[in-house]
Amino acid sequence: MLAQVTGRPELLGVPAGTRLFGAGVGLDSLAGTLLLRHVQRRYGVDVAAEDLNLDSLETLGTLAAFIAGRI
Amino acid sequence: MIKCVVWDIDNTLLTGVYLESGADLPGADPALAGVLRELSARGLLSAIASRNPPAAAAYVQQLTGADFAAVECGWGSKAEAVARIAAELSLAPDAIAFVDDDMLERAEVAAALPDVLVLTPEEAAEAPGWPEFSPAVITAEARRRSQLYAERRRRQAAANEFGGSRDDFLRHAGTQLTIAPAGSDDLPRLHELSVRTHQLNSAGEPVTQADLARLLDSPGDTVITVRLADDFGDDGLVGAAITTGNGRSSRPDARVPAQRLVVTVPLIMMSCRALGRGALDALLAWLCRSAAADGAAELRVPCLVTERNVPMRLALAAAGLRAEAGGVAPDGRAIFARPLTGELPPLADWVTIE
Repeated sequence: MLAQVTGRPELLGVPAGTRLFGAGVGLDSLAGTLLLRHVQRRYGVDVAAEDLNLDSLETLGTLAAFIAGRI
Repeated sequence: MIKCVVWDIDNTLLTGVYLESGADLPGADPALAGVLRELSARGLLSAIASRNPPAAAAYVQQLTGADFAAVECGWGSKAEAVARIAAELSLAPDAIAFVDDDMLERAEVAAALPDVLVLTPEEAAEAPGWPEFSPAVITAEARRRSQLYAERRRRQAAANEFGGSRDDFLRHAGTQLTIAPAGSDDLPRLHELSVRTHQLNSAGEPVTQADLARLLDSPGDTVITVRLADDFGDDGLVGAAITTGNGRSSRPDARVPAQRLVVTVPLIMMSCRALGRGALDALLAWLCRSAAADGAAELRVPCLVTERNVPMRLALAAAGLRAEAGGVAPDGRAIFARPLTGELPPLADWVTIE
């Protein structure tokens, strides 16, 4: 999903600990909101509504854990 | 030449959301209903791409009297819906215009189909005057707008072809971002921005020109503007922030109440045309750094928490701001804050401070 919203196929193999806002992925408002929308459509989890601080977006791993805990 | 306009329904052709309205269905947007009639009179087609049941399209048809050449009512991606409509009507993407109030839908369609003319509902209301829609009379302003769209499409096509990160592309495109204090000449554009920005707006309400003028003169407040340009074109003034400095914050729960210098940002706003180009990140980075340089200990951004301005919240989170204890207040706002010590958000090398 991350590779899809950023249009960067090299992100397909990033490790779970990769920071989403950091230099590696560099998730910005556009890609970030598209990612959250895809997550909502695919898993039915509205991250933005449930996570005020968006702490779940710290790393790929934290986001996955957040979603898994709510499916 | 545009041969078909693809319309979204919720908050675009209709003044509300079809499925959220219960028995009280929203009416048609009068300006766009007029555009539908005008386009039809010129022999242009209209189609629907909406995340709604087919009954919604039938309802719009009934309200406006419009005949839709294609209807894509489903729950998938808008980009795919537009592509299917193009195929169904045997039209190339550059003969299609797409109208949607949601900037993320617009961004998704623009990225997937760079040749499609992507418009906000406000732009669609004016679009019949543009060369692409072959009106009887084309004004100079309409020609200029049309040129702006061509620039946008070229930029999007180049971004799609580019193989590196977003920042690499922005640098490659010669992006120039200028942060400068506002002048009185900026007031009309600033007021217009406050009215038009919804998804990238922290306050959620417009500011009058009179209030902006007062802020310009007030010593404790600053109005900062953001201008954006690159090799593809100049977008001018795309965003702004209002800051109130020298506020003193006391902590009643601490053993020794500490008076600290705090900079509060009552408003941050950015045009959706600056989305994906690092403008909001640059503004937030600069707000942090400038406040720190002035000796402030904390930056505070009250932000309306709605479904619509999730992009703003993402930018705040990326800049290291977190909601204060207490969460969302009854007025729908939460205070996002961060200390100004330690690592501050980076400022890109194409940003100029004046």
